[in-house]
Amino acid sequence: MNVVRAEWFKVWRKRRLYILAGLYWVVLPVLILVVARIVFGSVGDSFVNEAGAVDATMQQLVSPYGLARLLLVGPGYMSPTFYIVCVTLIAALLIGDERNQNMWKTVLVVQPNRVAVITGKVIVAMLALGVLLFGALVAGLLFGAAGTLFLPTAVAGGAWSELVGLYFLQWAFLLAPVLLAFLLIFVVRSGVLGVVAVLFLPSLLEAIYSVLSTIAQLQPLNRINAVFQALRLKNAWESLPQYFFTANLYAPARAPTQGLASAFGEELGAEFGSELGPVSTLLGSGITLPHAALVMAAYAALFAVLLYLAFTRRDVD
Amino acid sequence: MTAISATNLTKRYGRAEAVANASFDIAPGEIVGFVGPNGAGKTTTLRMLAGLIRPTSGSATVLGERVPGPVLGEVGTMIEEPSFYPYMTGRENLRHAAALHGSVPARRVDESLEFVKLEQAADKRVKAYSQGMRQRLALARALLWHPKVLLLDEPTNGLDPTGIAEFRESLKQVAATGATVLISSHILAEVEKFVNRVLAIDKGTLRFDGSLTQLLAQAGGQAVRYVVKARDVQALLAALTDLGYPSTPAGADSVEVDVPQAEADDLIFRLAAAGVRVTSASVSAENLESAYLRLVGVDGKPS
Repeated sequence: MNVVRAEWFKVWRKRRLYILAGLYWVVLPVLILVVARIVFGSVGDSFVNEAGAVDATMQQLVSPYGLARLLLVGPGYMSPTFYIVCVTLIAALLIGDERNQNMWKTVLVVQPNRVAVITGKVIVAMLALGVLLFGALVAGLLFGAAGTLFLPTAVAGGAWSELVGLYFLQWAFLLAPVLLAFLLIFVVRSGVLGVVAVLFLPSLLEAIYSVLSTIAQLQPLNRINAVFQALRLKNAWESLPQYFFTANLYAPARAPTQGLASAFGEELGAEFGSELGPVSTLLGSGITLPHAALVMAAYAALFAVLLYLAFTRRDVD
Repeated sequence: MTAISATNLTKRYGRAEAVANASFDIAPGEIVGFVGPNGAGKTTTLRMLAGLIRPTSGSATVLGERVPGPVLGEVGTMIEEPSFYPYMTGRENLRHAAALHGSVPARRVDESLEFVKLEQAADKRVKAYSQGMRQRLALARALLWHPKVLLLDEPTNGLDPTGIAEFRESLKQVAATGATVLISSHILAEVEKFVNRVLAIDKGTLRFDGSLTQLLAQAGGQAVRYVVKARDVQALLAALTDLGYPSTPAGADSVEVDVPQAEADDLIFRLAAAGVRVTSASVSAENLESAYLRLVGVDGKPS
């Protein structure tokens, strides 16, 4: 608790957290409302809205419920995602700052229990992310309510319990990236390098997989396929994307649109038969939430073990 | 029980041996100078005592308990350059440290700031602090929880003479509370004024452990040169002549005198017995420094 208290005290004294919060809680919803107003102004009175399609879309996206959901879901579609940017910046503040400011020699004498130190920092990172997400939820409701004044939206309607569930799910899924960010920033002994690694390493590894998969399918290199077949690894190799870090990390954020894609996929499947090949994955029949939860829990456990081992054993230079 | 104890403390980085088999015991309340040239192994030893790095072999205890461990909660440290969170004020940095420690009453933050005379600047961000202010703030932080042991690594580095004098005064007050202090420096003259024992280290090996007068003896000096101050310099000179010690005036109220090694510790008593009111007496810095250099050699090369 001492570490949590101290780090909580520290984290809110850094300006970058307020900038992040300002972007997420104010700039993003205002931007969405402005775009919505422009779109509505352009097509609200046109034939497109004859059947009320524009009004319905507005209600889905910028009503209090819709905007709150959009603020939780939207960051998962950015590149790099806003979530990973928040995670990295908070991790850099909580663990990179000690290295940058040469503070480990002070912190680890004042509080020599290293397990307590790192646990406290992880807890504070998760709490700070929880506050950021909760703030976005509230900002979505407030700005959405303001939007009802100039947009064809209403406060009523919306699956509120699902929204709360989405909030908790998205928050819980951030534990693995927090642990990964702490691990990388601590291990590479550089805040900047650590931040870059967190932002791009998982994507890089996944890109390497794609390149290898492509190469393996080229004729002159069919020996790779032969080896996979011989080792009975072909299926495992092909199912690897199901376990990719980024694919699973954003599962809660992507679940709402994935549902839509799946429904579309089912219709196509019924029309063209069950064999849709890679198209079925594209349409969202790939990663389910329970699967993603298991995968992220496994990642979190792995990163936690590595982080605690590294942190408790390393000398402080 | 010893306050600090090191047994065959060794730290190797690859093939390089930063500290080799260092063994010493420091009793509670002792103020010990830890001297040696730059790169001699002082900081590495202090880091091992503070639990920041693990010894390759050997062990260290503080207040009878192995480090690293919970006992470090009784230790205050200033290791190398003082460091803080620059975006926080001095007071906020102390509040953060107090929260991290967990058993520091809130009033101690203000008390510590007052002790190091930083109340006026307490609410300025640390990035605006001068080097001297940062050193004083680091001392305030090290004293927050009334530590029983203080590990200070070159705490006067970068301070001007006034700052050094103020720091020395603060440290004397801390020492008066009975805390054990291990203070490192690469300049013996910086610590000789308030330490009663010296550990000298060079190239990772402990070369000397003893009092200042023993240091002079081991370094080959036949006599200890004192600078003695008295209200009546003529009476002082006469008494020194009667005692058979060669002396020369060294200013309006002071005299330099060479005392045989065996009698060095009794000089003040002998002068008092002869009716001289001595106002101060200290081992000549020049004399000590040359003894120290003879011990470790110029440029750290053993003589």
